[in-house]
Amino acid sequence: MSSRLESLKLRFKLVARSLLAIFRDPYGAAGSAIFLFMVAIALLAPYLPIPDPGSIDFPKFLPPSHSHPFGTDYLGRDVLSRVIWGARVSLSVGLIAAGISAAIGILLGAIAGFFGGLTDNVVNSLIEIFLMMPTFFLVLVIVAIFGSNLFYIMIVIGLTTWPVTARIMRAQTMSVKEMLFVEAARALGADSKRLLFLHVMPISIYPAIANTILSIGNAIMIEAALSYLGLGDPNLPSWGRIIYEGQPYVTSAWWIALFPGVFLVLTVLSINFIGDAFMRLYSPGLREA
Amino acid sequence: MGMGTYIAKRVVHSIGIIFVILFLNFIIINSAPGNPALFMGGEVALSSPEYVKALMHRWGLDKPLYERTLIYFEHLLKGDLGYSYRYMEPVSSLILERLPVTLLLTLSSSLLAFVIGVWLGLASARRVKSKTDAAITTTMFVFWSTPSFWLGIMLMILFGVRLRLFPVSGMVSVSHLGGGIWYYLDILYHAVLPVTTLTLIMTPLYYKLTRDTAIQQLREDYVTTFRAVGLGEGYLFRKYVFRNSILPPITAFGLQLGYAVAGAVLVENVFGWPGMGRLLLDSILMRDYPVIMGIYVFVSVTVILSILLVDILYALLDPRIKYG
Repeated sequence: MSSRLESLKLRFKLVARSLLAIFRDPYGAAGSAIFLFMVAIALLAPYLPIPDPGSIDFPKFLPPSHSHPFGTDYLGRDVLSRVIWGARVSLSVGLIAAGISAAIGILLGAIAGFFGGLTDNVVNSLIEIFLMMPTFFLVLVIVAIFGSNLFYIMIVIGLTTWPVTARIMRAQTMSVKEMLFVEAARALGADSKRLLFLHVMPISIYPAIANTILSIGNAIMIEAALSYLGLGDPNLPSWGRIIYEGQPYVTSAWWIALFPGVFLVLTVLSINFIGDAFMRLYSPGLREA
Repeated sequence: MGMGTYIAKRVVHSIGIIFVILFLNFIIINSAPGNPALFMGGEVALSSPEYVKALMHRWGLDKPLYERTLIYFEHLLKGDLGYSYRYMEPVSSLILERLPVTLLLTLSSSLLAFVIGVWLGLASARRVKSKTDAAITTTMFVFWSTPSFWLGIMLMILFGVRLRLFPVSGMVSVSHLGGGIWYYLDILYHAVLPVTTLTLIMTPLYYKLTRDTAIQQLREDYVTTFRAVGLGEGYLFRKYVFRNSILPPITAFGLQLGYAVAGAVLVENVFGWPGMGRLLLDSILMRDYPVIMGIYVFVSVTVILSILLVDILYALLDPRIKYG
């Protein structure tokens, strides 16, 4: 029992050390700071001293001023408040869609790489088919036909973006399973399930995690693009939707489209910074790149 | 395995994938809510039971599922993507009509992005870890994280609305509809902002690939040797590093085409560019399902064919490739 505790402690230390390493990387530190800020405003939105995002009490098209730092939109809603509430929508789409995509990709990739044979053939063909399909169009068509609510959008993005993670995880698993320590564990009598989940996966998972971080940003971009085309959830103020609503007025009220876009770029940029730092730290081949 | 066998294998493989995608398309159409005939026939079908019957017959909807699948593929193989009730035209001719203007955007911006990305990537790799390298890399990160439609709107506000340097919307001005050289020059003038937007969005991909490959090349023994014998850095880069770093971006060119068309769809909507993207959005708003599905099939097949083409070119270009 105590050895298990020891190994848990060791693992905890490793995680803490890897987080510290990311904070020490200049891109990683900048990315983490911006991302934490976005998460903070998303979580604190109900408690911040801002007007209700749906309230139409203000004059229309007010340019940015002291009382409305981001101005008001075509219905007289406060753009700052909508952008802050939009962080909740965009971040939850990103996190949940990337979570679904990671769960499928990591599991399928690990199983295919570890067991090989027919399983691998089937999974690999699936990966190839999905990789060649223009994902954005598939999501667009499904949402256009089956309706656009946020729940659908998250699931459809998750179900169509897993192949990249799966491909990375498969390759990693294939190389790690040939290592000596796996052979040793097998000789000690570990069964396949134990070998895969306790010995191979903890070593091979890092590049897949890096890719999952990047796919959070990707999912946020896909949702924003859908919303910009008018296919987002009409009931929730996502950043893409605010830009969509501001588009007809860009010649006179530029602030409606500008600010949500700035938040969108900063968020995706911060995620890409973190993902890139993670990739450089844990994918040895690219360390100097 | 010889090159002929390799190419044949890739062709068969691509055809297989195309069939899977078409089949998926069939499943999506058939699992959509409501009667597929109403779905394919649109509003006209709602008021006319005879039309529904005719449609059911034409698409074989009164037959069992396996027969329907065969009929569906038969229509597709003939190039029949369905009929748009909104435009009263076959979907395929609608798409072909809009294709050239979309290609003008996607191809020109893809090529520009390729050239600029490879050039900047090599420039960065040459000064790796310098301030210039850091500045270019960070800028590329920003563009990589920027949605095409938003960048388009911002460029439009800045250069179209504020500075009045470029037209805000459309493809050609009414005064130049007459044709001739001014007509084409006017189209180019209108294309500046959309093409710039797409180029900026796609450059980072080529930049990162080229920079990473070139940095790996710099660690190779041949580079050490050439430096040791006193070969100039410029010559070394132009003659050797460049040639070895250009293959990954070439592969990416085929793979990113789907991404480029997706970007074009969004950017066309920003600038009112009358291409496939505009057609797609109008069809979504009007629930013109045959057109939506037709564009999806068309784009998927085009992307897969271009990946195939690039793979074959790659096999011909790179003598080291193993056919496996």
